[in-house]
Amino acid sequence: MESSDEESVHRRRVHLRPFTLRSPAPVTLHLLPCEVPVSRPAPVGRFFTPAIRQGPYGLEASFRGRSLRGEEVAVPPGLVGYVMTEEQGEVSVGKQDFSEGSEEDHEVMESPETLERDFDRFIGATASFSSFTLWGLETIPGPDSKVRGALTWPSLAAAIHAQVPED
Amino acid sequence: MDLSELERDNTGRCRLNSPVPAVCLKEPCVLGVDEAGRGPVLGPMVYAICYCPLSRLADLEALKVADSKTLSESERDRLFAKMEEDGDFVGWALDVLSPNLISTSMLGRVKYNLNSLSHDTATGLVQYALDQGVKVAQVFVDTVGLPETYQERLQQRFPDIEVTVKAKADALYPVVSAASICAKVARDQAVRNWQFVEKLQDLDTDYGSGYPNDPKTKAWLRKHVDPVFGFPQFVRFSWRTAQSILEKEAEDVTWEFLDQGSDPSHSCNLCRNCSNARSFNPLCQLGIKPVPWSCRDTTNPLVPQQELPDKLFYFTVLEVGSPRPGY
Repeated sequence: MESSDEESVHRRRVHLRPFTLRSPAPVTLHLLPCEVPVSRPAPVGRFFTPAIRQGPYGLEASFRGRSLRGEEVAVPPGLVGYVMTEEQGEVSVGKQDFSEGSEEDHEVMESPETLERDFDRFIGATASFSSFTLWGLETIPGPDSKVRGALTWPSLAAAIHAQVPED
Repeated sequence: MDLSELERDNTGRCRLNSPVPAVCLKEPCVLGVDEAGRGPVLGPMVYAICYCPLSRLADLEALKVADSKTLSESERDRLFAKMEEDGDFVGWALDVLSPNLISTSMLGRVKYNLNSLSHDTATGLVQYALDQGVKVAQVFVDTVGLPETYQERLQQRFPDIEVTVKAKADALYPVVSAASICAKVARDQAVRNWQFVEKLQDLDTDYGSGYPNDPKTKAWLRKHVDPVFGFPQFVRFSWRTAQSILEKEAEDVTWEFLDQGSDPSHSCNLCRNCSNARSFNPLCQLGIKPVPWSCRDTTNPLVPQQELPDKLFYFTVLEVGSPRPGY
């Protein structure tokens, strides 16, 4: 690793709040074939969900006047989906968010080489999912879609990294 | 007019029809085609056919049907009721094209413009009458686009029928006037009783005429913009009026129109070791948002070395039971 890169890594770390992964509420998710380059709440339940129809070739909906075709995609067995959000505002280490942390965490913090600094960033799970609706523009994404391909990756990765028994 | 079928589901198209008068199955008939609601930015476009035996055309004329635009709403309702009374020799059928269907057609990857949609709908209705057994001998159509080419198309499609396509046919031929009344009555009723598929708050049903130049309609559009979803499906997104309001008052949307596989800016930023995995790692083909703690790869210029944006919703998949506490 180059030194400059190492420096930037040390400058800011992103930490995952482990306790948030314990029991986040399940949510309904839609993955659309478009990007809205802002992050803000959207009235999905008022505008989008009520307009979904079961058509002869899968789910039908529209977004911004364009036709969408969708299908349910399950998270592969052995995996779970999380919706992750970054903690906002001034998060200081050792306050509210850490109250649920284990004793071990506190010990780590108190050491001089603490892993989490007050200028680091923290993310946590706000919801979980075991499936989501994948939408394609005008056509069903289908088995060859990129997302489905991506979801086969964990099992493929496990297979190619597995020990091969010597004969 | 019973539009309950449309009110149950107004996201697509809906065909409605009168019973076919028995006489129309035996005697040669004249059939008129017209439409209502072509211009408005709100609500459906309604195509209508109306037909009667050539021998009873004088009786239809006696109803004093006229171009629907020259009649008041109550006169149109009265004339439509009369046509229903004369159901023993007058038949009609409608095709209601929802604003959602119009939007998705016109904004399709392969553009389907309003003229083609109109021509195909009119053709479909004439065929529908034939399929129901109506002995269609003559067809009169109010033109959309150039009458010559439209007439040629229809004539080719229906070689055994005498086809006349004309501008202002709704004022010239009673059977087209009758069709225009059917279409207009249905369109007005559909707009008046529109069942919004969305669960809207503070819905204002005073949308004016629905024409883009009506200040009331414009005000209604501005009032009902959602920054993410744009408008309810009642609005034709493909209309310039709608689009220019969205440009100003809603968020931008970029679509994955093109295959992004060859675009380095959309390369993998989720996997740990992309440098030599790009050739077969399917994640590389995804436009997944950066998750920087696992994808710093200075050896691969194709991996964006991005800072975590200030606000971002992560949509990720983790292995069960191994969240690596404390990272």
